[in-house]
Amino acid sequence: MTDIQNGNGLAAAEKFYAQYGSRARELKASGKKVIGYLSALGPVEIMTAAGVLPIRLKGNVSEAVTKGDAYMETIVCPFVRNVFDAAVKGKYDFLDGMVLPHQCDSIDRTNETWSYTLNLPYWHFLNLPHVADDPSIAFTQEILRIFVRSLEKYTGNKITDEAIAKAVAAHNQNRKLMRDLYDLRKSNPPLISGVEMMKVCVAAMSLPVEESSALIESVIKEVKGRAPAAGDPAAKRIMIIGDQIDDIAVIEAIESTGAYLVMDDLSTGSKMYWQDVDATPDPLRGIAERYMRKLKIPTTFIGSAPTYQGILEERFGHMKNYVQDFKVDGVILFIYKYCDPYGFEVPAIKSYVEAAGAPVLYLEDEYSTSSLARIKTRIEAFLEMIA
Amino acid sequence: MAEEKKGRAVATSTAASIPKFVRGNLSATLKAKEEGKKVAAAFIADGQDEIMRAMDIVPAWGESFSGVCAAKRDAEKYLQKAESDNFSRSLCTYATCNIGFDMMREELGHAPEGAPWGGMARPDMMLGNGQLLCDPRFKWPQATQHYQQDVPVFVTNMYYPPWDPSGDHHEVEALYVKYAKEELHETVKFCEKITGKKMDWDRLAATVELSDKTWDLFIDTYELRKHHPTPMDTGDAMNTMVPLTFNLGTQEAYDFYVSLKAELEQKIKDGVGVANPEKYRVIWAAGLPSWFALGDFQYFNGKGVVFPVEVTYRGCEKVERLDLPKTNDPLEHIAWRWVRYWTHWYDAAKKRPGSTPKVERIIEYIEDYDCDGAVFHSAFSCRSWHAGIMQQAATLKKVYKDIPILIMEGDIVDISSYNEADTHNRIDAFIETLAAYKAKKG
Ligand code: SF4
Ligand code: SF4
Repeated sequence: MTDIQNGNGLAAAEKFYAQYGSRARELKASGKKVIGYLSALGPVEIMTAAGVLPIRLKGNVSEAVTKGDAYMETIVCPFVRNVFDAAVKGKYDFLDGMVLPHQCDSIDRTNETWSYTLNLPYWHFLNLPHVADDPSIAFTQEILRIFVRSLEKYTGNKITDEAIAKAVAAHNQNRKLMRDLYDLRKSNPPLISGVEMMKVCVAAMSLPVEESSALIESVIKEVKGRAPAAGDPAAKRIMIIGDQIDDIAVIEAIESTGAYLVMDDLSTGSKMYWQDVDATPDPLRGIAERYMRKLKIPTTFIGSAPTYQGILEERFGHMKNYVQDFKVDGVILFIYKYCDPYGFEVPAIKSYVEAAGAPVLYLEDEYSTSSLARIKTRIEAFLEMIA
Repeated sequence: MAEEKKGRAVATSTAASIPKFVRGNLSATLKAKEEGKKVAAAFIADGQDEIMRAMDIVPAWGESFSGVCAAKRDAEKYLQKAESDNFSRSLCTYATCNIGFDMMREELGHAPEGAPWGGMARPDMMLGNGQLLCDPRFKWPQATQHYQQDVPVFVTNMYYPPWDPSGDHHEVEALYVKYAKEELHETVKFCEKITGKKMDWDRLAATVELSDKTWDLFIDTYELRKHHPTPMDTGDAMNTMVPLTFNLGTQEAYDFYVSLKAELEQKIKDGVGVANPEKYRVIWAAGLPSWFALGDFQYFNGKGVVFPVEVTYRGCEKVERLDLPKTNDPLEHIAWRWVRYWTHWYDAAKKRPGSTPKVERIIEYIEDYDCDGAVFHSAFSCRSWHAGIMQQAATLKKVYKDIPILIMEGDIVDISSYNEADTHNRIDAFIETLAAYKAKKG
């Protein structure tokens, strides 16, 4: 990681994006254990505290699922299938293990397909609840404790509360830095493009937390040095909402039309960074609360407010804030086929965000570039409409 | 789900009474208002049945309603209605069919014309469950609330330990039971708030006891199907599951199985089987059926193939086999029953390297019911039961025997991808494999 010096963060991000997992491979060669995870529910703090490298797994939108077809049904979320296919093809042959969170049917119901096919030395299904009431938070703490114990057993090292607290601080710092970088998208034109930002986000999730923070810091310095930004101040400012978008293909499709992608509510993007873990006497409590209550993802049921409007604010209020803070002109709601958790939210998100002042284009797609031309046409028509 | 246009003649006369149950459940929701009862949109296999029954809350089963629409081949207009507000066709069609219906009822102020048996009443509450079973169980109520904004949603959460061959589920069962019990308490609190009535705990205890008895009777009845020739097959079971699945905790459900058991005993005595002659016995190893094509079971039967056992809708076990710890708290009992229902195949799976509880369950049934092959149905709109089927089929072959397996592809509600001729061709090919397998087996 010696090549990240101040001022060349974007080039480093580009490298880690293009050669995804290269750092994990290096660290593995030097004796570090590498554990893969699949979604925003992967408790990175605990993995960091265990001394292993957590790496969020991504697929490849340009590569068709082939080998994976022999094991996993086509009704499974296309993202999950694509990552599984990559794993079966050996792209993640540096993994020592994986933790699959209980997130959605596509992940839960294929847990055994993953574990029995890949047959990695370490496997853990993290049985997180879908509800965030008080008994569920206490339960989550216990589920995290089981995870801690299983990692201890696997690594042979005790994971102390102090180590967890330290990892929490390191990941909070990482999140803060990323938020600082997101802030640079608020100007018009934004100081960093959506494509660049996606590369940084993807690179960041493949690195040890300190290196990820160093990378972000470096990008911030570099990007700040660009001010004042050049570009068309009248171009439309777009936000994207969705789950596992970890490739620049869609972002390029948006920005090639002349629009700016200035914000996201993606589980690979802002969702990972907007909410910190509170320091609590039992550090697992703070982690449980962050993942269950603060992280607003559709797989956790939220609905305690007394009115429907109140419930919508609880669920989607952050999207309204983003629209205002990032001066968003239009929103693209990008949902994968076969995704029940996000799919059932589409009408509610669409009407809520539109009421907040930003028109919404809903796109249902595969995790594949094969449909990109159609997607681009729809985006162009949308931009014309909001022009 | 019990009445289909393509008339599948049920083999047992008891099963013929099922449409009455289904209709009764739907019309109970419509009558509830006159009777001063509250209606809850609810889901099967959520562990909440007894709470509702003990509190006189009338369940409105969306899954049943969608199944009926599918069986009548009348779901398309509801699916299209949901699609018109951007619900994807790839989502669970039980949910989207029902949401489409709810959307229409809200717009019209009454059930749409031609809704099966008058449709379902507008609920006073929606009870979901974010369990290990399926996403729509908590996303669907939330989605419906968008159109019925004044109807409160409560989502409970009932989990069971995940299968982990390297761990010991016995160590964590108590944690799961504690959590499930607490969540059931939350459900009771919510229901008390909506109904304005306190839970009658003695009545709940009696209801739970009745459910236990029904579970036992159901298994005793179904185990009669081990007989050669089998007196009842899965085609009927897709009907006879209704009382257990939708009317648990009621006397009618219990009485239904008393009659069914008597009829099966009589058939065995008379030597009457589903197929004549019965050539091949096959397990329905996973998957909800295509409600619009239940006639396919008859097609199998016509060729001498019977299904003496199925995994689908067998949501119970003899209670004594679960070895439940004694408790006076009915909610704790429900919680233990729930957790053990799922984990009681784990020990068997541990004993067979490479196996899983789901596969172990299939093996147990294959052996107990003397089956020669397995049929799975992979319905495209429900990941919950249908993702992971390929893995189960492969594991079954690997850890057990290289038995003939057929994985059918289709849907539960959406008829658009169904082709009868193709399906029958695939069934014919499967039967040829069965014949070859049996000939080899001798
Ligand atoms: S996109 Fe949807 S189905 Fe896919 S992993 Fe995310 S939540 Fe699950
Ligand atoms: S996803 Fe499957 S299990 Fe869940 S409600 Fe739909 S059909 Fe039923």
